[in-house]
Amino acid sequence: MLSISWPTLLVWISPHVLLGVLAVILCKRRLYRECPYFFAFVLYEIAEFILLFVLRSVPSVTGEQYAYAYYATLLLSIVLCFGVIDEVSRDLFREFQFLKVAARRSLQCVTGLLLVIGVLLAVYAPGDNSVRWIAGVSVVNRGAAMVQCGLLLSLLLFSRFLGLSWRRRAFGITLGLGILTSVDLAIRAVRTEFNSDLWVSYLNLLATGTYLVCVSIWIGYLLAPEAKPEVIAVVPDDDEVETWNREFQHLLRQ
Amino acid sequence: MIVAWTLVAVSFFALAILAYVAIRSRTRRVDLEKSAQAFRSLDIAAFRNLVDADEESFLRNNLPPTKFREIKRQRAWAALLYAWEAGGAATALARIGQAAQQSSDPKIAASGAELAENAFRLRLQTVGAGLHLLTEILVPDLQRRSLPPVVDQYERAADTLFRLGRFSSGAPQLAGSKRA
Repeated sequence: MLSISWPTLLVWISPHVLLGVLAVILCKRRLYRECPYFFAFVLYEIAEFILLFVLRSVPSVTGEQYAYAYYATLLLSIVLCFGVIDEVSRDLFREFQFLKVAARRSLQCVTGLLLVIGVLLAVYAPGDNSVRWIAGVSVVNRGAAMVQCGLLLSLLLFSRFLGLSWRRRAFGITLGLGILTSVDLAIRAVRTEFNSDLWVSYLNLLATGTYLVCVSIWIGYLLAPEAKPEVIAVVPDDDEVETWNREFQHLLRQ
Repeated sequence: MIVAWTLVAVSFFALAILAYVAIRSRTRRVDLEKSAQAFRSLDIAAFRNLVDADEESFLRNNLPPTKFREIKRQRAWAALLYAWEAGGAATALARIGQAAQQSSDPKIAASGAELAENAFRLRLQTVGAGLHLLTEILVPDLQRRSLPPVVDQYERAADTLFRLGRFSSGAPQLAGSKRA
């Protein structure tokens, strides 16, 4: 297998070391009960890294075998990522039964629309990998990145539109995952056009750098203390509110 | 090539939205007084007049068709602005409701939950009403259907806000949001 330089190795390893820290935080604070998919995602990413690192270090493993392992593990990672998105959306709407139904329907519509765009992308921009199945997985991955990015943005915009409050943890997970998927989408798109060694090494550096930032965001949001309860000093005046109420009653009796 | 750069542009746009939401979530605070003021500033009577089916029927019967279409467009546009503002007020009410939900007083917390749920409904209703009114602006000859659900939701939200205010009258402060 190819040897890699120390700086590249450091950039490759450091986000996964931080993922280990994240896993420890999730265990210590027993957060795996509240976000099991995210916990599984973190553990899976660590296991995936170890497997790929070992494969890369073993001299007898060929580049093609490594590529098989890389793309196979990538597919499960995509599935887990969808699980995490489902988890944060459940957390967001947990307190409001009405919203659970309405939001689920809206998100299903958004997912359907994004899937159609993803399929169209697969048809019209299939990429240029020489190995057929790798090209297939790349297209699936690019489409999945687009759907995931779209879903996370929809969740953020929908909550903002309704004035819905996020729990700090869920917001941090969504933010990190949103950055990860949107940068991933750009990288996958650029890679189809620029696949020289120089470009690939730059894009790999960008991908791992982004991963490092996102893991840091997750750790930051999990470790940050809960925001101080906001003191609301002014309560709506009874008289004014009652006047409004009378106005409504009068209006509806007409 | 175009598709690739389009996707890059989409991802940059997504990153910009994420940055905006992240920054806003750190700076946003529930301003109860401002939110209640926004709620109070809406003139429900004027809105009701604008979407009244009888009023429309009267105008249809007494105005020439061209004039009727012009007036109807103006009325629908005004009602659309009301729906837009009501949507903003609903978002503010939802924030008040969720802040009240954090209260240690179970009555305030329950009223807060009810207020938030009604406000969410109102917010979604305003979207439907907005689309309906846009259709009326584009096709003024369509027979108007009245929009009672929006008015009803607004009244329910107002009623809950009234009760919330009544429950809070003994306590000087409400517990605030604990969220991001």
